[in-house]
Amino acid sequence: MKAKKSTPYIFLLPLLIAFGLFLFYPLAKVVMDSFYKFSFLNPSHKIWVGGFNYKWLFTFKLYSPVYSYFVGALLKTLIWVGGSVGIKVFLGLGGALLLNSEFLNGKRFYRTLLIIPWSIPWAMSAMIWYWTLNGQFGIVNSLLLHLHLINEPVSFLAYPTSAFISTFVVDAWIGLPFMVIMLLSGLQTIPHHLYEAATIDGAGDFVKFTKITLPMIKPVLLTVSLLSVVWTFNSFAPIWILTRGGPVTSTTTLPIAIYNTSFRYLMFGGVGKASAMTIFQVLLVTSLSLFYIRTLKGGES
Amino acid sequence: MRKSTEKKVKGVIYQILAIAFATFMLIPIYQAIITALTPPNAGWISPAPLFPQNTSFQNFLNTFWLVPRLPIYLLNSFIYGIGVSAFSLLIAIPAGYSLARFRYRLRSPMMVFVIYANMFAPIMLLVPLYVIMKTFGLINTYISMIFAGSVFTIPLSTWLSVSYMQTIPVEIEEAALMDGCTPYSVIYRIIIPLMKPALVAIFIYAFITGWSQQFTLALVLISDNKMMPITQGLYQFFSRSSVSWGPLMAAILISTLIPVTLFLLVEKYIVQGLTSGSIK
Repeated sequence: MKAKKSTPYIFLLPLLIAFGLFLFYPLAKVVMDSFYKFSFLNPSHKIWVGGFNYKWLFTFKLYSPVYSYFVGALLKTLIWVGGSVGIKVFLGLGGALLLNSEFLNGKRFYRTLLIIPWSIPWAMSAMIWYWTLNGQFGIVNSLLLHLHLINEPVSFLAYPTSAFISTFVVDAWIGLPFMVIMLLSGLQTIPHHLYEAATIDGAGDFVKFTKITLPMIKPVLLTVSLLSVVWTFNSFAPIWILTRGGPVTSTTTLPIAIYNTSFRYLMFGGVGKASAMTIFQVLLVTSLSLFYIRTLKGGES
Repeated sequence: MRKSTEKKVKGVIYQILAIAFATFMLIPIYQAIITALTPPNAGWISPAPLFPQNTSFQNFLNTFWLVPRLPIYLLNSFIYGIGVSAFSLLIAIPAGYSLARFRYRLRSPMMVFVIYANMFAPIMLLVPLYVIMKTFGLINTYISMIFAGSVFTIPLSTWLSVSYMQTIPVEIEEAALMDGCTPYSVIYRIIIPLMKPALVAIFIYAFITGWSQQFTLALVLISDNKMMPITQGLYQFFSRSSVSWGPLMAAILISTLIPVTLFLLVEKYIVQGLTSGSIK
């Protein structure tokens, strides 16, 4: 389109200003702050500590003889993200296949049901789950008792392992509808005649799935999974509402550790330390994003 | 003959799987509903009954009596949400026009950057945002929540705006430019009217995402009870020794009504936009 050379830049300016003020400037501040010691109670009183905060990340231990608070949080995050994304991808693909199947009746109905949990704000979902997982009166307990899967009620959020699993299951629950709907729209782009041809050739359902569905849906599956990994990495509200990172530090993933270090445990004096943690978080997410952008570009060409 | 039996068997199996899946997705919502409908004076039973014994709508009234500020919290959330939406649109429309209609050097790095910026979450910027807002005396203001919230909705809003604009034929604009329109008047005379459905979708996307992120942002940006969004306000139902579950669930159901209805209305557009944006 013909216009003056400056025109596109003028239209882009608001975006650049917004990103500059609220994304670049805060990011630069995180980098700067990671070399200082100060508390959020008095942010103007800063003491230069050089690389001490980074050293602290790898030396400060809390309740664990082996890993530092930060390394422990990092390792937990990896397992937690693996668990949550694993469920999202596995059940997401399963749900999408079901909703795409010609044999299922009431697809529209199920699809609408899926939209409801999607549109509930995450914090609200987590609060509802907090009640649903309640050790005495929660319906999950009651359902498991009726199905004879457990003999007595379990306080899911009171024990390290069950709390860890519960939090990532809840996170997966929150992210599942997005996954199903995205994968479903991917499945719907597969031309129907491919399956018809395979049927004529006598291929069974399993062969059709591995030879047609999977290869055709692979690009979508990859991009959506990567996107989901990044979002899950950043997941904060569900864990915070369910356990605040406890019991002990069992559900303290990196986002929770960042929050606790900067705003909760004042003894850490920790905005600088949390900033150092944030840099690792940003680096991790950035490398995942690069991978994601590369897959997107690969899909285009 | 064999075909139809196979069809029937598959139909039954898939139906069972779908019901299991739906049960998993609806369990918490189901318990929220039956908890809200339990009469306030009925004690909780352990294990929880799977079906409600008595029902009453009393909790839906009690919830406002127990936490009188509930309407204020809802209004706050609404203002934060609308603010984030409006601000996102204000930036995403011109940016979308620039990225969809012009070819220039910054274009393709900018497109990549918009995708990258979408990967950020409030938790990564919580500390600096807090410090910045505190420095400017913006803690406990609508403006701080709206600015901070928009950071995370602007990227996808811009992306949605670009991808929708690319579907609008460029000829109409060219004709308008020939007739002496400036690119600025093209935006509000032609682009905005043609983009109406996309604008609604972006508005609601930003509203819902903004609403979802209020919790994390408000943890540090809002300390004044009168300014709290509904998610923080719900903690008023938690006292030191107990939680008023019935009124709490009633309050949650009331306050999710707005986002759920909005989402059901425009879900189609959002899915379309997302698939064109993140999947290609």
